[in-house]
Amino acid sequence: MAIAAIPHDAHGEVDQLYVETRELRLQGFLLFLISDCVLFSSFIFAYLYLRNTGQGWPPPGIARLDVAFAAWNSVVLFGSGATMHYALENWKHGNFMKYMWMLIATIILGAMFLGGQGYEYHHLIFDEKVTWAGSGIFGASFFTLTGMHGFHVFMGVCYLTVLLLQTAAGTYTYQKYFGITAGTLYWHFVDVIWVVLFSIFYLL
Amino acid sequence: MSVAAAHSGGIADHIHPEPQGFVRRYVFSIDHKIIGIQYLITGFVFMMLAGLLAETIRTQLLNASGGFVSPDTYNEVYSVHGSAMVWLVIIPIATGGFGNLVFPLMIGARDVAFPWLNMLSFWIFPVSGLMLFSSFLMGAPAAGWTEYPPVSLQGAPGTTMWCAAIFLVGVSSTLTGINFLVTILKMRAPGMTFTRMPLFVWGQFATAPLLMIATTALAAALAALFMERVFGVPFYDPTKGGSPVLWQHMFWFYSHPAVYIMILPLFGIISEVLPTFSRKPIFGYKLIAFSSMAIALLGFMVWAHHMFTSGLAPFLQVLFMVMTFTIAVPTGVKIFSWIATLWGGKIHYSTAMLFALGFLALFTFGGITGVFLAAVPTDLDLHGTYFVVGHFHYVLVGGSLMGVFAGMYYWFAKMSGRLLNETLGKVHFWLFFVGFNMTFLPMHWLGFMGMPRWVATYDPQFQFWNRFESVGSYIMTLGILCFFINVIYSIRAGKKAGPNPWNARTLEWQIPSPPNYYNFKHIPTVYGLPYDFSQPLPYTGLEDELTDSPPAQLTGAHH
Ligand SMILES: [Cu+2]
Repeated sequence: MAIAAIPHDAHGEVDQLYVETRELRLQGFLLFLISDCVLFSSFIFAYLYLRNTGQGWPPPGIARLDVAFAAWNSVVLFGSGATMHYALENWKHGNFMKYMWMLIATIILGAMFLGGQGYEYHHLIFDEKVTWAGSGIFGASFFTLTGMHGFHVFMGVCYLTVLLLQTAAGTYTYQKYFGITAGTLYWHFVDVIWVVLFSIFYLL
Repeated sequence: MSVAAAHSGGIADHIHPEPQGFVRRYVFSIDHKIIGIQYLITGFVFMMLAGLLAETIRTQLLNASGGFVSPDTYNEVYSVHGSAMVWLVIIPIATGGFGNLVFPLMIGARDVAFPWLNMLSFWIFPVSGLMLFSSFLMGAPAAGWTEYPPVSLQGAPGTTMWCAAIFLVGVSSTLTGINFLVTILKMRAPGMTFTRMPLFVWGQFATAPLLMIATTALAAALAALFMERVFGVPFYDPTKGGSPVLWQHMFWFYSHPAVYIMILPLFGIISEVLPTFSRKPIFGYKLIAFSSMAIALLGFMVWAHHMFTSGLAPFLQVLFMVMTFTIAVPTGVKIFSWIATLWGGKIHYSTAMLFALGFLALFTFGGITGVFLAAVPTDLDLHGTYFVVGHFHYVLVGGSLMGVFAGMYYWFAKMSGRLLNETLGKVHFWLFFVGFNMTFLPMHWLGFMGMPRWVATYDPQFQFWNRFESVGSYIMTLGILCFFINVIYSIRAGKKAGPNPWNARTLEWQIPSPPNYYNFKHIPTVYGLPYDFSQPLPYTGLEDELTDSPPAQLTGAHH
């Protein structure tokens, strides 16, 4: 019954303005994600370029990253992608309670991923003495790229929390569904970026 | 319930409430026409400042031994001159200025897709401009507008300000690109198919993705430079494993497409002005439209032609050389189409037309000298000489800026309701055209003779031509002063333009000058291309536009 999601105005008619505005916003948001993707791609290019023009890789004196831990953390993030997907599906079908639970699960998993990343940073900086500015191009690329990604996850968690609170308070209603669609797109985008980052930093 | 059964009231019919009060109307306006004018005014103010820097450069070079400013100041002056002209003058005027002002009218829309975002884009622009010029207070950037590391890593604190300012104006460009792209994709009037869009709209349509994608790549390069300067994070410093050549790759990956950001919208202006003043359909409409897209696409694959002297592998040099040559094909297609448009036309030599013809001549010349620089063997000789300076000023001043003036003389009537004075306009054109060629033509042979760019003093054998150039630049400046006087005079006392002073056929000329805040009383339907001068206009629904009746949405009808 996805059709029920088309919002109606006070007269019970289709609110054409909202439908079209939503379409525009989604398209604009998609283009924003493309630019954002270029931002990541540029830094990824920089990393690969520096890595291939430097004196051997990994640079001497830099400890190996903990692949197993990062792999578990990735599973957490991908799990949140799945719950986000079901949150949107349930919203479309009008299952509010399920939608709320799925959104809560996404927020918790996202926060767990951030916690894991914080732990990893802590370990690298204090145990391995690998830092952003003091460990050559490895530290520069690793912390810049994963930091940018972590910032995106953080923004996503904040955004979804606001969405959750708004839904709970009844201000984000069934009639409006740009926010949840954009949030889902964004969350999947952040997932995909992580796949790339995980491959180039931990596997390559 | 089907959508057709619903009452109309979609976005195309929607009219924002009329803005009340000076601030909402002229300062924080969400009206694309006002925002366009704001962009133009701000851009021209920055042009005066950057022009002042240009005259500082030319005055310094009057004498082989310099002496007007210190060599260190000279470095700052040309660095800020270049940065300001590219990012604060040409790009904002060509996209945010003329784009906002004209293309939503041309596609029969009431505004851009995201009016509030548009306002944000605009307001970022003057702020970043002031940031850039404020860098003089703390030691301005001094490594040229390209700010190559490692020199830029060691530059004065103003270099950090430069990074932040260019980053911000880039954010503004990116938002504008997104806004324009969605507007063109989604908000065209009924019947305005892609192959019926005016060529100016095609120009903006080809530019918008460049604004979105290339500018973001520059943002990454700038962010990395900022991080390295402020926090010491090594990206470019070779002593810490970084690579200065990385900056060159990232910078030119943006800055070659940026050349097209600075020229495709002006191609669009030329493609409107030429048919209007030769009373002939544009020749090869589809060729011009699609070659813009081809140029935009190819523009991403040629950046390393700026790096032939940076230790690029020989096979890459050849690859980038050949790729660059291929861009000459779509560009040549355009030039031939424009000449064919003029061929046998009844040419009306208005000031706008003079600038368009000047554009055609000077841009073609700049394109040809570009081939010298794209060819590896000649570039190795000419790289870093005045030949390069001559070349890109022919493209960016003889091309882009001439296009900007053509657009001003053409659309000033639409934005203000009054015509710019034609006599003053012609004085402007001839002073500018003669002064321009005097300034930049000798640079080509100075380059061949080996005069390096970016120097505060030079070998006395070059003195004659440098003085000649400086005199030319003063003449050019006089021309530009004529323009500013013309604008100020014509706003108050110019001839009333009426809706369509040029008998032009695109949609913006079918409504009053200046247009009402809602643009169209009734969204028109489009049946064909706007360039067929022998035929009736290909629009319906425009009957009420020039009457006093308000639009149906505002008469209290059901909404
Ligand atoms: Cu180039």
